[in-house]
Amino acid sequence: MDHRRHLALPRELCVPTVAALRTDCLEWLDVGDSDAAVDASGVDEVDAAGVQLLVSLSRTLAARGRPLRLHAPSGPLRDACRTLGAHALIDASADGDLR
Amino acid sequence: MSRPDDTDPDTLFIAEALPAFVSEAREQIEGIEQLLLQLETAPDDRELLDALFRCAHTVKGSAGLFGLDAVVDFTHHVETLLDRLREGRLLLTPALSTLLLSSNDEIRSLVDAAAGQGTEDRREGREALVERLRDAAGDTREAQDAVADTDADAPAGPGRWRVSVAFGTDTFRNGMDPLAILAYLGGLGRLASIACRDTAIPPLEHLDPESCHLGFDLELETDACRAEIEHAFAFARDDVELEMRRLDGSGREPQAEDTAAAAAQTDVEAAAGPGATAARAARPGDGAPADGATRYIRVPADRLDEVINLLGELVIAGAGASLLARQSGQGPLVEANAQIGRLVEEIRNGTLQLRMVPIGETFARFRRVVRDTAAQLGKDVALEVVGGETELDKGMVERIADPLMHLVRNALDHGLESPADREVAGKPPRGRLVLAACHESGSVLIRITDDGRGIDRRKVLARAWDRGLVERGVTPSDDEILGLIFEPGFSTAEQVTNLSGRGVGMDVVKRNVEALRGHIGLRSDEGEGTTVEIRLPLTLAIIDGFLIGVGPSRFVVPLEAVVEVVESRVAQGAFDARGRGLVELRGQPLPVVGLRALYALESPHPERSSIVVLHAAGRRYGVVVDQLLGQHQTVIKPLGRMFRSLRGMSGSTILGNGEVALIIDVGALGELAAADARAGANAERAAPGRDRRPVTS
Repeated sequence: MDHRRHLALPRELCVPTVAALRTDCLEWLDVGDSDAAVDASGVDEVDAAGVQLLVSLSRTLAARGRPLRLHAPSGPLRDACRTLGAHALIDASADGDLR
Repeated sequence: MSRPDDTDPDTLFIAEALPAFVSEAREQIEGIEQLLLQLETAPDDRELLDALFRCAHTVKGSAGLFGLDAVVDFTHHVETLLDRLREGRLLLTPALSTLLLSSNDEIRSLVDAAAGQGTEDRREGREALVERLRDAAGDTREAQDAVADTDADAPAGPGRWRVSVAFGTDTFRNGMDPLAILAYLGGLGRLASIACRDTAIPPLEHLDPESCHLGFDLELETDACRAEIEHAFAFARDDVELEMRRLDGSGREPQAEDTAAAAAQTDVEAAAGPGATAARAARPGDGAPADGATRYIRVPADRLDEVINLLGELVIAGAGASLLARQSGQGPLVEANAQIGRLVEEIRNGTLQLRMVPIGETFARFRRVVRDTAAQLGKDVALEVVGGETELDKGMVERIADPLMHLVRNALDHGLESPADREVAGKPPRGRLVLAACHESGSVLIRITDDGRGIDRRKVLARAWDRGLVERGVTPSDDEILGLIFEPGFSTAEQVTNLSGRGVGMDVVKRNVEALRGHIGLRSDEGEGTTVEIRLPLTLAIIDGFLIGVGPSRFVVPLEAVVEVVESRVAQGAFDARGRGLVELRGQPLPVVGLRALYALESPHPERSSIVVLHAAGRRYGVVVDQLLGQHQTVIKPLGRMFRSLRGMSGSTILGNGEVALIIDVGALGELAAADARAGANAERAAPGRDRRPVTS
């Protein structure tokens, strides 16, 4: 899978990784298939900075008239989003194929 | 606190850390006092109430670390009452405010006792205060005992809280994770709803992913009280803005324990945010932005003084080196020395800056004085503080406090009228007292202004005639009449009160100000009020001086006091035994002092001499000298005990070649010169005995 066309969230969705992930996301928005869902199945560790980045990504996509769809969000990610009131991220998640 | 063993590491640690605790606790106690006084004009300001609670909480918490049980126990009762206040169950009435102020005094004396500066144990008084605190908080003894050492809060019962929280941008960088904080909060009860404020988060292009933009609105059902909910945010205190509001939708009766305050229970709203503003309010005058932009290091004052002393030595040694360099005639050496000299001067300025503290802390102390004194005199006075951030040398701030206190009391006692008198005079019943400070042309200007009755010049003049300060029938100018108030022994108080009439007059205030190389002046419009102006130099340690010589002796005059230098044509015989005389300068008489005669310097008279014209406290006089040696960076050293009584000298300094020079006290020497001039003009009629003061007293 071309990582620029498809976006997968890292195992650690935390302060140390968010800067790199932001760069990946911007690249993905530019050249990738941003209609596709984002693979969120591998997220093992997550903190508020990670969730903040997802909310920011979702707002950026929304400005372009597209929703952010998370594919198969992992348990920790679901919990974090719920705790932080970012329900929309989970509600729009897709459990099926990436495309 | 038990002291089992002096070598026990815990005991040693406590002994070492205790001074820091005492100093911090005193700051908090000072904070409590200031907040209470501020709250008197805004009794329901939640931010102040929260800051107040935190101050008490901090004192209690750190006292606990040191095992200071008496402080912990007593402060606990204060804290309980404060908690009632900030929850809005009680209103801060003047009576409660007075109780809390007395309680704060008690905490202060307990802390003093812990610092080993204790007076007698006031256990009984303390117990009475505890009783009153309990009564005020509406606590029964049983309830109180039950929560004896929990966090100051009786359980508030099941309730629903709406919490709004915004995390600061540095939250992540400071190692805080809002996820963990909210998860903990959820553990306190049930999170009925939570919404993330999406719109506050910038889109990806503008996002700094390591800055926190998160904010949440949530509703929490919990048995926990406000303090417990706040506690969830304790670690992120400086990074969070918190707003809490108890929703009273359940129809449940408020806690039975506090029926009196039940009415105040509905929709209590509080900005409980330990945000920057509140933190600042907690330390009045601190001037420290709490947002972490500026960081502070606490340094013991004596270490700083030591550095300043060494710096003084460096300036002197530097002057010596540059003198030698000049004598050697080696150009590069002179240049190298000049470079060192410039650097030393920069270090000097930077170091003196370190000693600067805002004067607001001193001003803040007067709030309590004004409050209590006004109450005692049956007056209603509002104190305004302007320019509290103005910085002044630490030593100066300490020494100006007493004169200021006297002036404030004077204004309260003599200046401001009672509410009834004020209404008769067509003024608002509440009097105004303004303490203001600002920097002006290299000095600090402090103004104490009241809108009271002003100064009755006729009374002043009549008194001056009675005292023989002015020849009867002579009416000086308005300004001169006002100046008489600073004459020794002058007081217009018709009735000596126990406040300002303690035998300490304005002359003492003036002398104290002048001892700091400052000036004091007075403006007053009858019926409108009075302004006292004090002008102080920025520092006590180093001045720009003007070096003069008489025979082999050297003297330094503060450069700012020098008006001009003229050639002297005074004949030797023109001086009296004390070295005083009168010369004519551009058609005006100028009193002069000859240092040779005054200090009995045994050296031959030179062929030519000069007069350095000085101005001090509104008058001019001349000093006759042999040599003019130019400008000199002067490090002021105090005079030894033996020379304290030497009139006309304020200190000494060491010159580059190791010689000692005396620093002239321009004000005192001016008095000496003027006393003689007056005697000369009035032929000893006006002030018999005043002009023959001995040189040493």
